[in-house]
Amino acid sequence: MSDVKSFDARILLEGARIVAVRVDEDLVVREVVGDWCEVSVGEDVRDTVPALIGMEDELLQELPYIQLPFVSLGMSHEQPVAISVQRDWKTQSLWILLRDVSEEASVQERLVHQHNALSLAHRELAAARDAALTADKAKTRFLANVSHELRTPLNVVIGGASILRKPREKPLPTEDVVTFSNDIHDSGVLLLQLVDDLIDLSRAETGNLTIHEEWCNPSVIIDEMIRLSRGLPEAKGVEIVYEPCAKAPELFADPRRVKQILLNLLSNAVKVCDPGSRIQVETEVLESGDFKITVRDNGPGMSPADLAIALEPFGQPNAETRSRGTGLGLAIVARLADLHQAKFDIATKLGEGLAASTSFPVERLSSNAG
Amino acid sequence: MKAHKVIVIGDFGVGKTSLIRRYVLDVFSDQYRATLGVHLYKHSDIVPIDGTEQQVKLVLWDIEGAPLPGEQMMRYSLGASGAIVVGDLTRPDMIEPMRRAADMIEARLPGRPIGFAFNKHDIAPAPDDSNIAALKDRYGALITCTSAKTGDAVPNLFRDLTARIIGGKGGAV
Ligand SMILES: Nc1nc2c(ncn2[C@@H]2O[C@H](COP(=O)(O)OP(=O)(O)OP(=O)(O)O)[C@@H](O)[C@H]2O)c(=O)[nH]1
Ligand SMILES: [Mg+2]
Repeated sequence: MSDVKSFDARILLEGARIVAVRVDEDLVVREVVGDWCEVSVGEDVRDTVPALIGMEDELLQELPYIQLPFVSLGMSHEQPVAISVQRDWKTQSLWILLRDVSEEASVQERLVHQHNALSLAHRELAAARDAALTADKAKTRFLANVSHELRTPLNVVIGGASILRKPREKPLPTEDVVTFSNDIHDSGVLLLQLVDDLIDLSRAETGNLTIHEEWCNPSVIIDEMIRLSRGLPEAKGVEIVYEPCAKAPELFADPRRVKQILLNLLSNAVKVCDPGSRIQVETEVLESGDFKITVRDNGPGMSPADLAIALEPFGQPNAETRSRGTGLGLAIVARLADLHQAKFDIATKLGEGLAASTSFPVERLSSNAG
Repeated sequence: MKAHKVIVIGDFGVGKTSLIRRYVLDVFSDQYRATLGVHLYKHSDIVPIDGTEQQVKLVLWDIEGAPLPGEQMMRYSLGASGAIVVGDLTRPDMIEPMRRAADMIEARLPGRPIGFAFNKHDIAPAPDDSNIAALKDRYGALITCTSAKTGDAVPNLFRDLTARIIGGKGGAV
């Protein structure tokens, strides 16, 4: 206290929101200059300034280097301080300087917050942009696939037709004419299917796929679609059976769309099944009251990765699953189910067949169900 | 009883403040408010260390976030007994910044235990096992998937690190 230097310092520090604290080797406060904050002689400085806890080794160095620009003084974070430590080389005493930085802090805090919030938003935007670019790439890939899918049957049509119309001296043998005409017809059917699928899918994507609901009998629809599927060329030697539940309810749905769901699933199943396999259509009223139609095959099944691709609107399954058709069928089925608030679900494992089910919500069933 | 300084570092917005406030005060807020400088939290806890329950005192340093550790973070880390490096599981490139922060700790505080907190586990899945194994091998670190929001694994994050800080004395560290 008798030290002249500290008297000078006291004048300097009056009114400036700074406190200088002299501590001994045990970090006990020996002198306090300035009265801006409460520090008492005789106490451990770490009680008032817990930021110094852990820094003992550094504090007791000959030339401690401690500069902490913004630290809360205590547990209440209302009081930020800048802390610096200096050894008075003349007296060897250790001084801890605390400066009130709440004014700078209030401005800086806003800046830091805005900076952080903005740069987080910026990163999110960048991620969204990357996702959009990926989606764009998927669309480009999809378009390339579609043109490939269109090209193959179109080549058959054009090639077959040009052979048929070519002027020649001897007419083509009848078998050849029949073969070429059949090929042209089948390719035409495939093209039409592809175009229909594309139209549905693009309508679904733009939210323009609508349904026209009425009360209908699912058993009748299922029977009809099974009959149709049996006529598919790939269905040769494949057994398709219907196992209805005890009392199938009437369904409030768009019969054309329900048919489309079933036909898509059945033709998928038929395409992957070898002769001798069995496809089964089952109906079931679940405990929840929902009505579930399942198309189950014992064909090759799909891996989870292939399944994910097959369900994607713009994802084209790889070569293995390509045999399942245009690659659009499942994407369309999922959307058609969605339009009926129905749950579409696929259970499959590679080598263990596939079961595709559509569960219509109880609200769409007649009360005579169950 | 000696209090231990534990710093909590990582990129901004990853949930450092939220993890500490969940542990110390058992509160959570969805509102983001950036931390400026350092907020200190004193906390006493009972932690099982080498088979016995021990009373411990911690001073937790909630440090202003930064994508990469800088001069300021180094100043604040002086004298820490251990560090928690927090990452946000919802961010795609979260691991590299965590490595950089851990490298800084290794250089500045050699031998001090590090805990990695993969936070926001309530809304994002855990990282690949291969990534976890690589971090464990490289830093000998503790790895915890946490959610400050639900409180999941938060006390363990701090307690496991504390057990290493205290139990590690004279031991392997
Ligand atoms: N869902 C979820 N959100 C979280 C979790 N932890 C933090 N958040 C949110 O993430 C945002 C940032 O959290 P903070 O704890 O402020 O992040 P910080 O790391 O302290 O950020 P800085 O101080 O800027 O470095 C806030 O909106 C929190 O509500 C979590 O476990 N789950
Ligand atoms: Mg914070």
